[in-house]
Amino acid sequence: PCPRQVRSYYVDWRMLRDLKRRKLAYEHADERLRINAIRKNSILPKELQEVADKEMAALPRDSCPVRIRNRCVLTSRPRGVKRHWRLSRIVFRHFADHAQMSGVQRAMW
Amino acid sequence: KDKSAASKDSAPEGAAKRQADGAETLKQQLLDIIGNMKVEVSYRKKLQQLKASESKKQALNKLEGPDSEGSLPQGTTEDTQRGKPLNPELVKAASAVASSLPRNQKQTESELLAQLRRHEETTDKQKKGGTINIRNVISEMTVKRQTPTHRNPRMSGRISLQLDEDGQRIRPGRSSAQSIDSRRSLKVGKRLNIFTKASTEPEHALKTVSSPTIWDLEFAKEVAAVTAQPPRNGFEEMIQWTKEGILWEFPVDNEVGMEDDAEFHEHIFLEKHLEGFPKEGPIRHFMELVICGLSKNPYLSVKQKVEHIEWFQKYFEEKKELLQEI
Repeated sequence: PCPRQVRSYYVDWRMLRDLKRRKLAYEHADERLRINAIRKNSILPKELQEVADKEMAALPRDSCPVRIRNRCVLTSRPRGVKRHWRLSRIVFRHFADHAQMSGVQRAMW
Repeated sequence: KDKSAASKDSAPEGAAKRQADGAETLKQQLLDIIGNMKVEVSYRKKLQQLKASESKKQALNKLEGPDSEGSLPQGTTEDTQRGKPLNPELVKAASAVASSLPRNQKQTESELLAQLRRHEETTDKQKKGGTINIRNVISEMTVKRQTPTHRNPRMSGRISLQLDEDGQRIRPGRSSAQSIDSRRSLKVGKRLNIFTKASTEPEHALKTVSSPTIWDLEFAKEVAAVTAQPPRNGFEEMIQWTKEGILWEFPVDNEVGMEDDAEFHEHIFLEKHLEGFPKEGPIRHFMELVICGLSKNPYLSVKQKVEHIEWFQKYFEEKKELLQEI
């Protein structure tokens, strides 16, 4: 299998990898949910649950949602990102001062 | 026919004896006539009356006896006032109806005869075909007399800006012009019936179009690109955005794009999907819990829920051997 070459422009490779993880997580979300439902069960027999454990481990590592990191959309900064705007604090401040963020004002009270 | 004509002559005069005799025969005739006429729809009644009157007129014309000639002019002098001879049979029917009704006989009879006269008029008009009287056309038009004395101040008012103290234009002639226009308004006057109403043509059969060729598509795209002018103002910009889908349609419809055709019972009662599972045992217990959870889920569509259950079914079938060992 030949992995596709990256032709579009992402800020850095970490951003790309994060994007791949998100895609995989979306694809395997249902399966993960169902296998987990079998695992975290007190009714079904334990052997079944062990089998489910093994199946879970067999899934690609990047398909788990825990691995996704909410990076800044513009600078790919992993820390200091505000969820609502998906922007890092520096970029946010830059835009807000230039009055390019709708409804954002400097706080004063 | 002599007797009937005589009775018809006497009836409006009010002779009692002859009225009694005439009433009986008239009633018989009336019943026959009314039996033919349908009372449900008045329009149909008129049509039938007209048809009957036409046929009877033809019959009468064929007779050309002295009786009919004698009866008709008498009938005209007595019954009609507008100079149109009414069909004697219809007159008979009218008088019979009037006699049968409890109220004032003469009044009802006169009303009925007036109605009949109107019918006759309409039939004649339809026969002639609605002549276009030139008189009607010309009556509305008036000769335009040029008033040079009036014009000059108006023209001068147009060319030179007569400024008031405030700086607003003086238009003294304006009100007079408007009044002249209002006098010759559009809705006044008789209908000329020159133009026939444009009938809604039935849509032609769908022209069989083979799948649009690439050239057609390209042409359409070109046309759209040329005609799409940049928006002149904010409203047109918003319209463009709404068409593209960037802007929502107002008032906001919360259910745009959400088409849940399934009823609520399909969401809640999911036990019918549990047929593939064994009826007893931990698996059944587990699946019932799953169904309970799904029925409370408002975010999934029915399809997704069914897929969920089917996935479990497949999974447990694959693990059947394992389960049997246990």
